Amino acid sequence: MNKFGIVLALSAGLIQAQDAREIVTEVQRRARAESQRYEGSLRVIDSGGRVTDKSWQYDRLGSHGNSKAILRFTSPPEVRGVKLLVLNHPDRASDQWMWTPALARERRIALQDRSTRFFGTDFSFEDLEERDVEHYDYRLLGQETLEGHLCWRLEARPRKGKSSQYTRSLLWVRQDIYVFVQVENFVDNQLARRLKYGDFERVAGIWTGRRLEMHDVRRNSRTILTFDKLDYNLPMQEETFTLQALRRGL
Amino acid sequence: MKLFRLLSWQYVRKHKLRSVLTLSGITLGVAIFVGMHTVNQSVLSAFQHTVDRVAGATELEISAGEPGFEEEVLERVQAEPCVSAAAPIIEAIVDTGSPGQGSLLVLAVDMTGDRSLREYDLESGESAIIDDPLVFLAQPDSIMVSRQFAQRNGLRIGSGLALETMEGPKRFTVRGIMRTGGLASAYGGSLAVMDIYAAQLVFGRGRRFDRIDVGADAGIGPEKCRERLEALLGPGFKVEPPSARGQYFASMSQAFAISISFASVFALLIGIFIIYNSFSIAVSHRRAEIGILRSMGATRGQIRNLFLAESAVAGVIGSAIGVGAGILLARGMITYTSTYLRDLYGTAQRAETVTTDPPLMLCGWFMGLLASLAGGWLPARSASRVDPVKALQKGKYQLLSAGENRARRLAAFALGCISAACLLLSSSPWAFYTGYVLAVLAALLLSPALALWLARALRPVLRWLRPVEGALAADSLIQAPRRTSATVAALMLSLALAVGFAGVARASYRSIHGWIDVALNPDLFVTASPRITARSFRFEPEVETRLRAVAGVREVQAVRTPRVLLGDTPVLLVAVDIGRLIRTSRREPLEGDGDTAYRLAAEGKGAIISDNLALLRGLKKGDTIELAAPLGVLRLPVLGSLVEYSDQQGSILIDRSLYTRYWGDTSVNTFRVYLEPGAAEAAVRQSILEGFAGERRVFVLTNREVRSYILDLTDQWFGLTYVQLAVAVLVAILGIVNTLTVSIIDRRRELGVLQAVGAVRRQIRNTIWLEAVSIGVVGLLLGLALGALNLYFSVEMVRQDIAGIRLTYAYPWLTAAVLIPVILGAAWLSALGPAESAVRGSLSEALEYE
Repeated sequence: MNKFGIVLALSAGLIQAQDAREIVTEVQRRARAESQRYEGSLRVIDSGGRVTDKSWQYDRLGSHGNSKAILRFTSPPEVRGVKLLVLNHPDRASDQWMWTPALARERRIALQDRSTRFFGTDFSFEDLEERDVEHYDYRLLGQETLEGHLCWRLEARPRKGKSSQYTRSLLWVRQDIYVFVQVENFVDNQLARRLKYGDFERVAGIWTGRRLEMHDVRRNSRTILTFDKLDYNLPMQEETFTLQALRRGL
Repeated sequence: MKLFRLLSWQYVRKHKLRSVLTLSGITLGVAIFVGMHTVNQSVLSAFQHTVDRVAGATELEISAGEPGFEEEVLERVQAEPCVSAAAPIIEAIVDTGSPGQGSLLVLAVDMTGDRSLREYDLESGESAIIDDPLVFLAQPDSIMVSRQFAQRNGLRIGSGLALETMEGPKRFTVRGIMRTGGLASAYGGSLAVMDIYAAQLVFGRGRRFDRIDVGADAGIGPEKCRERLEALLGPGFKVEPPSARGQYFASMSQAFAISISFASVFALLIGIFIIYNSFSIAVSHRRAEIGILRSMGATRGQIRNLFLAESAVAGVIGSAIGVGAGILLARGMITYTSTYLRDLYGTAQRAETVTTDPPLMLCGWFMGLLASLAGGWLPARSASRVDPVKALQKGKYQLLSAGENRARRLAAFALGCISAACLLLSSSPWAFYTGYVLAVLAALLLSPALALWLARALRPVLRWLRPVEGALAADSLIQAPRRTSATVAALMLSLALAVGFAGVARASYRSIHGWIDVALNPDLFVTASPRITARSFRFEPEVETRLRAVAGVREVQAVRTPRVLLGDTPVLLVAVDIGRLIRTSRREPLEGDGDTAYRLAAEGKGAIISDNLALLRGLKKGDTIELAAPLGVLRLPVLGSLVEYSDQQGSILIDRSLYTRYWGDTSVNTFRVYLEPGAAEAAVRQSILEGFAGERRVFVLTNREVRSYILDLTDQWFGLTYVQLAVAVLVAILGIVNTLTVSIIDRRRELGVLQAVGAVRRQIRNTIWLEAVSIGVVGLLLGLALGALNLYFSVEMVRQDIAGIRLTYAYPWLTAAVLIPVILGAAWLSALGPAESAVRGSLSEALEYE
């Protein structure tokens, strides 16, 4: 899957209960695609009710911890042309660069800055990463009905040596179609962000939540991301996902 | 206490003007002490405040001197596990162009990660704008300003703000307004924040950062993180807490601090003299009262304590007023001083309010009290020694006994010998200053005897001028040396200081002129800032090629002048193509062979240092200096030293190729441009400006303008000196007025008798005028003589401690020539009042006197 990578960030790991690991592995297997493209609409609603909208086009080549993604902002006009290149690695944190057309140059997003908010949204830069199963330890906590669907409730903890702003996450996986429906991220046992998936639809054989709502509990603000023109396994060129391509304006 | 209430208070009430004068002496001294130190502390505090506010949660700062370093260093720092946050920074001071707003500190940061170190407390309702840094980053014209600055300039979100950039004036859009306080209070609230990558373009920094602000991992801590970063980056980088920048600023402005301390000590000395003078007069004036008290059984101790109590009360009140006046003085000077230091050192500080420091104020008050007691000590002692019989006999007490004279001469001789020994046998600062103080004390001890001798020598001249009045005036001085000795001593000291100051100023100007003539001889200077000392903007090296192509240009020399650390002190590095430099402005080194020194320097095999650096650091030819650069440690032998005034802490001249190699910096501060013979300066200047118009920021300064700018800075530096000179002369004149007033009171009967036996008013006036002018002549002769000695010490002090500048000893004859009519004229003017008082007093009262 998955659009924003958050889901994948939590997909894997050493498990205390073999079931938990198998569940996440199955989620990952079912979401697997050679590439992904969508047009995203982003709405940020801050604690005061102020709304800002943005949109982008998202391309991803590869999947699950070994992928390359490029995110091109298309509106509003002030940010059109800004790009974010994300290179996900199976064995370490991703590399991220931002391209600013007005300056005609890229800037690297530092690893230490991954916990900061992604350009005013309620997502953090880390939430954009795709992480491999091996990055987390999993534990099955039980079953629970959420939004009318029976779900497994899992706990994911970053493995030793894997950096993350979150100390642990709770995951809800629909038992019927093996997709995440909710993720709660904790920092020092305090709930920091809650991500909810909705509008599930099967696209190119892959069940995908077309509506993501991230709630920053501490700021009490929400960001809603909706996917349009979603498609998988489209042909994409490797060279498009490079710094040189960013510089050439591809 | 009873004596104090019955006698002292009555005296104060009766002589309000003199009491006010006494208080004003201490008030003046304390006010200057408190004011000057408050200004200095306020500027340092404003700098530190700016550093603290800008630092935010920063625990360590990584820097490599003013040149900064390549971007790639950031990735290395961010990869170090002990680093929890690392944010690159560029700082620049830019002119706003808004009337009265002066400069703006632009802090350029990478907004994607900077908020982990700094909190941008934004105006309510606008947070979304900056919380969405995407817009801020995507638009390079984005800028965020403090509310204070926005209010002063009527700015709102979306307003345009024109700032000077490398591409000329550019309109920025205000996309965030920071609430007052915190970061927004840095640089006196004149702060703007912009994107660092936009700033690289705007300020011509290439792909370089000024520094990196670091937050250490909580589990590792800043100290260990510092060690790791130092090991990672090598000696070319400084990894220090933000507070270290305050120490560098303090060390850079050390010369200013020494000048301030000197001025403060001088002001307190003046205060002591005023107190001494006033109390000496009071003792003279009240001698009969003292005599009566002593006759009635008052002990010497009681008399001494009475006068000491008076001086203590004057000290307490005068010091308290002085502290308040000092704060007011500081308020008046703060903006000027802050701007001046910013221009002089190119530092980011803006002090608009004074920082009152209770310990400093208490210290000022206490020093004022001590000064008052010190000033009152000798008169009090003198009062306690008044012989009751002599006290009631007019004139007797004014004589100096032969024994007293001999004792003074012997003491003066002994002190003079010790002083000479200090200077000859040791080169330590303690020995120097001890020698200085002892020499002045010796002169003070000798002054009554010398004054008497000079008065005797003057007698024939005065008689020749006016047989009767001249003789009377001379006799008055000869018969009452104690009365005039304090005034003569004050005048002597004041004039000696005036000669010292003037001599140093004159020698400095002469040396600076000589340096400018040779070192700054290009026809034009092409800079990126209107001030040649500003360092926020820099050129790319390619500009040189374009300048060479301008018609009428014969030669272009690119100069890079960053401040770098030599040990722990910032010094100026002058990086230039030495081979080409010496073809146009070759100066011979003070030691060694010039040809060899310049050849080796041009080959990058050594450095030529400024004379003041050599003196301040004890460096000589053949020594090795070590400069830690980002790309390696540069060890260079000293090839020689030059007279050079580019920086008060010293400068190092190296070849630019060496600088580029070790600092990886090809940017340029200034291009020195020489014209073809016959080329019109104005035309070439216009061609250069037109060639870069609308494209980049370029200022073309003529040689005359640069000279004028440097001399203006020098004028400002010596401005304080001139104020001191004026105060010194004014105090000396007040001393003459006091002395003459007492003289008239002392001689009322004598003057009355003269009038009774037929002397006309004109003769009385002439007598007093001549006496005043004679005091002036004696004070002048002694002052100008002591000035010669003081100038020697002043020149040495400048060389050893203030700036390491070797000034040529040259007596300021012109100043001396100007002082002669000034002092004599002032002496005559100061005699007008007392003279009129003498001739218009009641004759019968005068004859009944005593």
